[in-house]
Amino acid sequence: MPDRLLAYTDKLSLEPGDLVEVKVSSPRPGSYRASLVRMICGDDSPEGPGYKAEPVAGVPSNEYPARHQPIPCGSYVEIDDRNAFALQSFSIRTFIWPTWLDKSSEQCILGNWDAASKTGYALYLDAAGRLALRIGDQAPLLLPHDLVSRHWYLVAVAFDAKSGRATLGSRRLMAYGHSGQRHFVEGQLAPSAVANRFLIAAWNNAKKVAAHFNGKIDSPAIYGEALKLEALLAFPGTRDEVPPERAVADWDFSQDVGGTWVIDSSRHRRNGHTVNLPTRGMTGWNWDGSEMNWKRKPEQYGAIHFHDDDLYDCAWQTDFSMRLPKDLKSGVYCVHLMQDELEEFAPLFVRPAKGKPTSSLAFLVPTASYLAYANHQMDTSWSFDELSSARFTSINRTDQFLEEIYSLGLSTYDLHGDGSGVCHSSRLRPILNMRPKGDLWQFNADTHIIDWLAAKGLDCDIITDEDLHRDGLDCLKPYRCVITGTHPEYYSLKMLDAVQDYTDRGGRLMYLGANGFYWRIAWHPSLEGVIEHRRSEDGMRAWMTQPGESYMAFTGEYSGLWQRNGRPPNMLVGAAFSGQGFDVASYYKRLPASRDPRAAFIFEGVTEDRIGDFGSIGGGAAGWELDRADTSLGTPPHALIVATADDFPASYHWVNEELNHTHSAVNGDTCPMIKADMVFFETPHGGGVFSVSSISWAGSLAHNGYDNNVSRITENVVRRFLDAKPL
Amino acid sequence: MLSIDPSRTDLCEEFKRKPFGRHSADLHKLLDLMRWGFARGRTVILCTVPHKEWRLAKFGPRRGTPMQIDENRAFNSYQDAVWACFRARWKEMTGRDCPIE
Repeated sequence: MPDRLLAYTDKLSLEPGDLVEVKVSSPRPGSYRASLVRMICGDDSPEGPGYKAEPVAGVPSNEYPARHQPIPCGSYVEIDDRNAFALQSFSIRTFIWPTWLDKSSEQCILGNWDAASKTGYALYLDAAGRLALRIGDQAPLLLPHDLVSRHWYLVAVAFDAKSGRATLGSRRLMAYGHSGQRHFVEGQLAPSAVANRFLIAAWNNAKKVAAHFNGKIDSPAIYGEALKLEALLAFPGTRDEVPPERAVADWDFSQDVGGTWVIDSSRHRRNGHTVNLPTRGMTGWNWDGSEMNWKRKPEQYGAIHFHDDDLYDCAWQTDFSMRLPKDLKSGVYCVHLMQDELEEFAPLFVRPAKGKPTSSLAFLVPTASYLAYANHQMDTSWSFDELSSARFTSINRTDQFLEEIYSLGLSTYDLHGDGSGVCHSSRLRPILNMRPKGDLWQFNADTHIIDWLAAKGLDCDIITDEDLHRDGLDCLKPYRCVITGTHPEYYSLKMLDAVQDYTDRGGRLMYLGANGFYWRIAWHPSLEGVIEHRRSEDGMRAWMTQPGESYMAFTGEYSGLWQRNGRPPNMLVGAAFSGQGFDVASYYKRLPASRDPRAAFIFEGVTEDRIGDFGSIGGGAAGWELDRADTSLGTPPHALIVATADDFPASYHWVNEELNHTHSAVNGDTCPMIKADMVFFETPHGGGVFSVSSISWAGSLAHNGYDNNVSRITENVVRRFLDAKPL
Repeated sequence: MLSIDPSRTDLCEEFKRKPFGRHSADLHKLLDLMRWGFARGRTVILCTVPHKEWRLAKFGPRRGTPMQIDENRAFNSYQDAVWACFRARWKEMTGRDCPIE
């Protein structure tokens, strides 16, 4: 694995004068140097404008000792009271839906076993994926019957300390003719009644946690006596069931689905809390398809899906703090770290002091979308990545590092190790693709806009999605014009409402990208810096939600496309995702509407009919992802389509949410729906929207020393949108 | 369903000449066959020095395991690496060397 210096900060959006805590991990001893730089352009490719960063006066560069900090990935539940589980005799009953039986390592379902001291007990899957009971340092009791992945099982164990008799059994809920549903095995073991931490979905390894379970667990219960296996394997609510009042603890995961509490429904209230955000609001053993929303039938959503690569918070110690100067200009900054040849950046987005905008122009940094893509590993998560991109898998050293380290937390584009889709992404970890000098996607591609604004001498304030979600319309109100990033794809309801209100009240929005305002997400109501997304129903999906799991746990909102939530992007920006391709980009052709007096300002000084047949991303301003105007999908009827790009090769593919029936004419060669439409329309109270409908647009801004028709059009629109005169 | 026709040297030549952008229908089909499925286990391209050096590589059996990197050959253009990857995939899928160097 390549050596890599890693860092993240406690905050991403800050005000001048704020203190930022920097958390660093190094693979080497020694020290590193840290400084603060203003980031102008992160694109260091030979085709681009070049890497541009400026030191910040007033923040001294300092040397700090390097140290390694661990990455504690893997989700589990820790029960607060450990003493109640120091049991001589005991029984355990739980439902499981295992998802990674061939992982070749042990996976604990629940117990208080400690691998370091070899004390306590655990019900678990052994390295071969078989159900097992372990007590103390004795050889485990194994049920020698193979489990079937992604099937519900009711599993149980009863252990009598006096006789030493242990019984382990399983009951598969699905009946198949050729194999038995119930199995059990008996053995002799001695007790190990110690007050270790009691965990669900992992076991102890001294102070650490290990043997994470992959899959769902539903309705785990533990009893302080050896019960009959037949009773333990009876369904809850049936006559043979063990009376719930006999439980030491009986956890109900359908309570506090949006939070981190795990509630013990027994009279003892031996509650716990989740760590690293396992996925909640998951269909349980008894889900019957009669309800899709976990809020309406919580009794059928008693499952939590745990993964060994879940990561919410690295929880690293702070290595140093940095006080931002009170007069620091709003902008994009990075904490820049150097140790030998190792280089790391931790971005900071510095907004103006509250209530004190410094410009009438703002750049809205799409940090929600940065999180959605954070540390993505599409190259290995997707079976269709090469077909989608029309390239052989092409990765860099960062991708190699993410592949080899196992988990620095995944993105919402990835599959967990067990093959299930990733719903959460947080910023409390190093995000290696939210850095300069990397792929021209999201953060680094957006610096093309920051660079262009600087080149044109256009002062602007920086605001972020987190600010937008927190402050709503108040975040945008101070500005006459707001510019988006190249791919502002992920929006919460509050964010979308704020931008819609802004344009409805006379604000001017420049959408300098494509495939924006597309997916519905939720920010966690109380945990910092983490989003949730479910890939529901339709859209260009990295993975697909399982039936009944399209409602987000954080808020209970239905996730998926904003279009399918009644808020198509066309309504806000006049166009919506129409197609994508990633091998070459194309150009726009001016349309007659570009000569409409309403749009004359856009093309002032532009003599060419062909726009953007150049650029550092794919060689053109129309490329990667594209949006099309369509009044039937919500584009305002008065919108002017001033230019369009429609010459794309077969490597471009039509979006599947518009395809109700499969057929072969879905690529750039044969599908007329794959277009990038440049759109302008006026909004109430003198406002307006200008959409370029292409991700690669910003990659053309710097061409020919910023003197080109893409740059000219962008500048024309900015300057007109900053003019108070109503549009 | 189609399979790769080892006699179609014309398609290899076309890809070598123009690896990106619009291709003939037959080359498009050939590339679809080469690109179907997970990349793990197959030859991929790793940029080892940003904007300067590329090598062929393979992912390990699962995340968290080392990649195998071809240390014997480096390319100083991405296009050259893409052509080498095409040739490697050709061999992986047909069992024969790609007929075009």
